[in-house]
Amino acid sequence: MGPSSSAQPLFRAALRRAALRRAAPLLLLPLLLAGCAPDGGGGVQSTKMATIKARGKLICGVDGSLPGFSFVGPDGSYSGLDVDVCKAMAAALFGDPGKVEYRNLNSSERFAALASGEVDLLSRNTTMTLSRDAAGGNALSFAPPTFYDGQGVMVPTASGIKTLKDLAGKPICVESGTTTELNLADRMREQNIPYTPLKFQTGDQTYAAYLEGRCVAVTSDRSQLAGKRSSFPKPDDHTLLPDVMSKEPLTPATVNADPVWADAVRWTVNTLFQAEELGITKANIAAKVAEAKAKANQADLRRFLGVEGEFGKQLGLPADFVPKIISAVGNYGEIFDRNVGPGSRLKLDRGANKQWKEGGLIYSPPFR
Amino acid sequence: MRVSAWLPRLRRGSAPAPGLALALLAGLLLTACADGGGAGGLSSPVLARIHARGRLVCGINGQLPGFSSLASDGRYHGLDVEICRALAAAVFADPSRLELRPVTTTERFAALASGDVDVLSRNTTVSLSRDASAGNALSFAPVVFHDGGALMAPVASGIHGVADLAGKTVCVLSGTSNETVLADRMRLLGLPYTPLHFRGADQTFDAYQAGRCAAVTSDRSGLAARRSRFADPGAHRILPELLSREPLAPATAQSDPAWADAVRWVVYALIEAEERGITQANVKATLAAAKADPARAELRRFLGVEAELGSQLGLANDFVVQVLAAVGHYGEIFERNVGMASPLKIERGANRLFRDGGLMVSPPFR
Repeated sequence: MGPSSSAQPLFRAALRRAALRRAAPLLLLPLLLAGCAPDGGGGVQSTKMATIKARGKLICGVDGSLPGFSFVGPDGSYSGLDVDVCKAMAAALFGDPGKVEYRNLNSSERFAALASGEVDLLSRNTTMTLSRDAAGGNALSFAPPTFYDGQGVMVPTASGIKTLKDLAGKPICVESGTTTELNLADRMREQNIPYTPLKFQTGDQTYAAYLEGRCVAVTSDRSQLAGKRSSFPKPDDHTLLPDVMSKEPLTPATVNADPVWADAVRWTVNTLFQAEELGITKANIAAKVAEAKAKANQADLRRFLGVEGEFGKQLGLPADFVPKIISAVGNYGEIFDRNVGPGSRLKLDRGANKQWKEGGLIYSPPFR
Repeated sequence: MRVSAWLPRLRRGSAPAPGLALALLAGLLLTACADGGGAGGLSSPVLARIHARGRLVCGINGQLPGFSSLASDGRYHGLDVEICRALAAAVFADPSRLELRPVTTTERFAALASGDVDVLSRNTTVSLSRDASAGNALSFAPVVFHDGGALMAPVASGIHGVADLAGKTVCVLSGTSNETVLADRMRLLGLPYTPLHFRGADQTFDAYQAGRCAAVTSDRSGLAARRSRFADPGAHRILPELLSREPLAPATAQSDPAWADAVRWVVYALIEAEERGITQANVKATLAAAKADPARAELRRFLGVEAELGSQLGLANDFVVQVLAAVGHYGEIFERNVGMASPLKIERGANRLFRDGGLMVSPPFR
């Protein structure tokens, strides 16, 4: 598949050299200075948004090899739930979901790429955690979760492994630098199950090792396991154990230092949720806008679609950013179904990702 | 290759000299943000101000039973007040190092922007224009109470729904989302009505009780709270229709993301503790159990026995223990102040934990 060869940015290549690695904190300096703009939080003053607008396209950090979330097809085009979040953001900014440059990032380099400004937005199956959010940790700013996941374990069906206990003394493949690695250690420590973690730098290496039989199990978020399994030669030969080892709210992220940009991302994600709740789809968005324009008494709808009010202006986006987003990618339910739900090879249930009125956690604060 | 190589790591010993790297980062910040306007890294002007002052200043309503109101002991009580106490406990390991400052709906955001209050814990709805940079430029913590806009009318009035308000007068508090929501609903239904605006909550409800309006609008919880203090609560009906969803959340100024991070994770700690069954009563015993058992890694991190989650937020590593010893977990706070153990008797509903059918869930403390 070789997607990551398409765009190897200078910074990333350079970062691989150990010498520069030691000087890496200096790369934060411009970012820190940018964060010290005297304006603080008053008006729409976003260094990042100014950069993106001047560049004319969004640079979105994705995984790139995770079916259902971000995957490069044979024609070089990207698809998936994470990719659709990138497209939604580009549609909000430029009215054009195509104005995105994707960068494939492995889990070890993803936060450095965000901090250095190499990518504007990380939409890459990343769990929101305290240490990643905290100013004294990775100093990220998280948007609302776009997929509530949990960690699972996949084994060859023929192995006869049914529970975590059956893994005692066995090698388990895991990608390093992930929350997955920590959870596995915690769960096994709690249950006093000895095991041998076989760690890999990338997801591709991890799953390749598993398929080669170098480990009897592979652990990751359940969505990712389902996604990878769908691309195996014989998906039915592999089984997900019933154990759910953690909460993994997967969430787009920006840098903490630019709250204005974070606001725009947050409300772009909320737009997807709100549109589903209101029954506004890719197919009916044009009709909804026409209806809103024609009916002065539909205040809520008119504000949401930018027919009246100043939501776009307040976020530094065009007045009609909501119709642009929905025209490009549809609402959250459409994105889910197309990429990971019934319309996809993954066939995942909505589960916790149902709308809040249906027992799930997908919820937007009011557009007021 | 990972950014965390120069930032403190989750696990001790896994990164080379994180302390040195952190000192370097802090030095950069101090140099870059000498004028105090900074955002990012560990520099939090608000946290520095709170420490210099020796107490947290928390903006509250002050007139809303169950959320923040003066009790007969001359002190403020309520769910919003307990959030303030949790924050004071997180910052100072002492929930009493706190000044509770009542602010009106019209002055609340200005009080936050000017630095008169460090945090707003004041039945405030999260909304786009309040969150947006060119709006009120707030930073919202997680929702602490999922509420909804509603109407209350005298039982004797025969008003059963919004449609019965055509041509009537409704008492509303100026500057609230309830005001906008009612106007939108009446516009949608094409019903004329007369809003009677007030600047204070007491005036709004005094006017309603004096019969100056046929109905009064507020959040359902606020209506229940007010009604509980009426001489004849049974004579007033809260109409069943929810006019809006009102997720109430604490707020800070957007210009200090490091402080917003600390506030966010103090609120999450309350929810995470309920998920784990850690209460005000058993937190000490739970801490002792965590210290005694190295296998309980997640619990040890949550309670600050290992790792450095607190210091990453500019708080002590045992901040969760301090918070729970002061106020207990979210469910305890809810029941004591607005739930079945309180005069308000509001059901948990959407405020249940997610696993129980509600919307309350914390991301992982990792």
